[in-house]
Parts: sequence; C-alpha cells; structure tokens
Amino acid sequence: MPLLELREVHVERGGVLVLRGVSISVEKGEAVALIGRNGAGKTTTMRAIMGLNKPKSGSISLEGRDITRLPPYKVAALGVGYVPEDRRIIPDLTAEENLEIAYGSPPPDDMLDYIYSIFPELKKVRKSRGLYLSGGEQRMLSIARALVKNPKLLLLDEPLEGLAPKAALSVSKALKEIASQGISMLISESGIIRRVEGIAERAYGLDRGEIVYEGTLRGILEDKHARERIWGL
Amino acid sequence: MIPIELLIAQTINGLVYASILFLVSSGLTMIYGIMNILNLAHGSLYMLGAYFAITIIMKLAGGSPWGYLAAFILAPTAVMAVGAAIEVGLLKPIYGKPEEYQLLLTFGLILIFDEVVKLIWGPAYINFPNPGRFLGSIEVAGFEFPVYRLLLIALGFSVAWLLWFLLSKTTLGKKMRAAAADREIVSALGVSVPLLFTGAFMLGSFLSGLGGVAAGPLYTASPGMGIDIIVNSFAVIVIGGMGSILGALVGSLIVGLTRAYAIVIYPAIELALVYLIMVIVLLVRPVGLFGKPEEVRR
Repeated sequence: MPLLELREVHVERGGVLVLRGVSISVEKGEAVALIGRNGAGKTTTMRAIMGLNKPKSGSISLEGRDITRLPPYKVAALGVGYVPEDRRIIPDLTAEENLEIAYGSPPPDDMLDYIYSIFPELKKVRKSRGLYLSGGEQRMLSIARALVKNPKLLLLDEPLEGLAPKAALSVSKALKEIASQGISMLISESGIIRRVEGIAERAYGLDRGEIVYEGTLRGILEDKHARERIWGL
Repeated sequence: MIPIELLIAQTINGLVYASILFLVSSGLTMIYGIMNILNLAHGSLYMLGAYFAITIIMKLAGGSPWGYLAAFILAPTAVMAVGAAIEVGLLKPIYGKPEEYQLLLTFGLILIFDEVVKLIWGPAYINFPNPGRFLGSIEVAGFEFPVYRLLLIALGFSVAWLLWFLLSKTTLGKKMRAAAADREIVSALGVSVPLLFTGAFMLGSFLSGLGGVAAGPLYTASPGMGIDIIVNSFAVIVIGGMGSILGALVGSLIVGLTRAYAIVIYPAIELALVYLIMVIVLLVRPVGLFGKPEEVRR
C-alpha cells in the first residue's frame, strides 16, 4: 500500500478545471518530484492533498485511509507537513513561536536541537520576528515548521525556487538529510531538474492539470512527449 | 474653574466607564481581528450579562452581598454559553459567505434579544441594589472613593493584563494571533481553526457579559442598553484600531475620560466630542491608533 495515493483527482478553481484526473503515488520513505511549468497544477495538487482545495471528483488516500474530504488540520494531524511556495511565515511571531504554533506548545530542547542541526542558520534568528527573516531563512523556517510535527510525508512546493545560491545550497543539503531520515516527500519543481537531483529518484511530469510523464527523474529529459509538453522542446 | 473634588470624581467615573467599555470592546475587536466577524449583537451579550446578574442577585441570592460575587462568575459564564450557541449554531453556517450575511444576522440578533429581554424581564428599567451599601467607600487625603468603582477599575486593568498575557505568552494566544494573520496556513499546520474560532467567540462573549454585570449596578438594566454600549464600543475600536487589544484599552480610556470630563464642562458636547475624536483619528490615521494597514487575508 502506498503512503500517499491520488486517483483521478479533478479540482476546479474559479470555474476552471485545473487538475484533470491526476493520479500519483508516493511510497513510504520515497522522495518523488513533481515537475511542471508555472500554472501546470503543482500547487493545486499539494493544496488538494492538504485539504485546502476540495476535489470535484477522485480520491486521495494516506496509508489506505481516505482523506479526500478531511479539513487541513486533520490531514496535518495524520502526518502530512506542508511547505507552501510562498512560505507563509507568521510575520508577528518570532521564528521559535512559528515552530510553537505547529508543535502545539513550546518545542522541547531536543526538538529544537534536531531542527537546528538541520538548519544551523535558524539558531541565530530564533528570537527574531518572521517579518525580519530573509527569504532563505523564511524558507528554512517553513520547512522546520512542518518538521516539528514528525511528519510521515512532506509536501514541498518549489522549495528551491527564488533563493540566493548560498541559501539554495543549504536548503538542498537539508532536504537530502531529511530524505535520508526516511521521511517521504513530494517535491515540486518548475523546470530545473538538476535542483532536485540527489533528493528525488522518481518523478511525475505535470502539464495543464494532466500527468504527462511517470518514471525516473533523469528519464523525463529523454521522454520526447513529456519534454514537448513541459518545455516545448 | 472646576472644583478639585469634581475633577477627581469625574476621573474615577471616566475610568470606571473606560473599564466597562474595555470589557465589551476588547471582545468585539478580538473577535473581529481573529475571525473577521463584526458581531453587531456583541452589545446584546452585555445586556444579557446585566439581566442574568439581576436575576442571580435578587431571585437566587435575595439581594445578599454573596449574590454579587455569584453574579460576577455565573452571569458571564451563562453569556459565554449563549455566545457558543450563536457561533456554532448561527455563524458557522455562514462563514465564507459575503459579509452582508453576518451583518444582517447579527443585527437581527439585536432585535431578537431586545424582545426576549422585554418578554422575560419587562420593558421597564430595573435598578440593582446598590453594592456601595456593603462595600462602602474609603477615604484618601480627605476624598471619598466608592470601593465598588475602584474594584471595577482594577477589574478593567486586570482583564487587560490577562488578555495581554494570553495573546503574547501562551501557545493558545499565539495560535489566535497566527489565525488572525493567516488562518489557512494555521489550519495546514494542524490547528483546529473551527475550535479556535468558537473559543475566541466564547471568550469575547464572556467579557461582554462581565461588562454587563459590572455596569448593571451603575447604570440600571434596560432593553436598550446593548445598543448604547455597542455604539460607544465601535467608537473605541475605530479610534484604537480594529483588531488591536491595546487599541481597545487606549480607545476606552480616551472615550471614557472624554465623556466624563465633557459632561461637567459642557454637557451638550459629551457625545459629539467622542465622534469628533473618532473623525479626527480616521482622517489622520485611518487604521486607528494601533491598527495595522489592511493585509491580504487568507
């Protein structure tokens, strides 16, 4: 039984079908990439899994349990961590307070030690308000916030997009470490395959709400159909 | 020249009125800030607090001093239960609908509560037994200070401190602030936003009911008292900034003291002055003294 399974998921946003029969799966301990251009439906796929967009039809299950219609907080409680593309750090709260609301109480020292071992950069800004964190720090905090719940599955929406090279390197290194700990991932990427190499083995190609490729990450570049649909090459 | 005795008395009265205004407007502004719900019937909960209190004091306690103590605990608790019923039964079904729905619904509730109060307690003003009878007053430097009023001032500031503590020091309060900023991501982080909303609404209702209990012995209970307080509370939160607890505190002090001083200097200007301050604040700083510029709400 796969950890996460989407079957024929259709999602409508503003009267337009943005997902048209998406079927994907993620196994336990596996990191899977979701490749597609902006507007292909990557974010909507993640939002649908999280319960933030209700599918019009199709089903989503986690460890065999149907979660299609569950509200976001219940999906989160079942072990799904969400890292949105726009980070969504609470600006008024400090870095550690952002972790606190996800953990449910002030996180104990061993949890903080674990977080700071993955993101040493966050330790320096632990008392700073979210508003004053750099883009890279916000991205790291957003991932850390999903990690404090000990998730089984992380949904990472373009985690390497728009970061300065140094921050991108740190985040990439952190993601490899998280993956090596056996936490499953669905990680989206808008085009630069190289960025998710070494993190994800397997990939899906998504274009205009449809899955156009399924196979190894490298293989997507050799697949003529997927290449045409995704990059127009 | 205003005699010093009158100035002191009016300062006390102004602070008492500010305390009561704060109890009501802090809940109003908190519910708005966290839930984006403008509860027009928030003043009706204040009215219910006063009526529940008079029943507890007169019918259940026979006018004894213990009746007051019981009323201060039981009446706001009963109002909190009414608030829970309103949020769960009436407001939840219309979240996500256009704002007109909640305005119409909560306005309708004002009319319903006013009629219900007339049915149960009658349309006449009801006087509370004077708590000064057993609390008395204390004398400092030759001036008399009624103890009940001093206690109300202490209550107002204590509640202000407790709310500050809740919102800045506890995880629950931080979740509330986070939900005010971005309820979608808070939900995706595993926080039950529906439960958080019910809790915030109940807390606001409790505070409004507490304000009603506190005000009853000073101003009598009447079916129109809810409208009177809600109008002044709106002035408070517009001046202080909608959604800000500190704003509600400062706004309450401004409105309370302004009214108290104006009434001895030139009574006719009492209410007008409050709205004049409101207009000036709106012109100079449209989001209110401690309000934040409107952000995109998710």
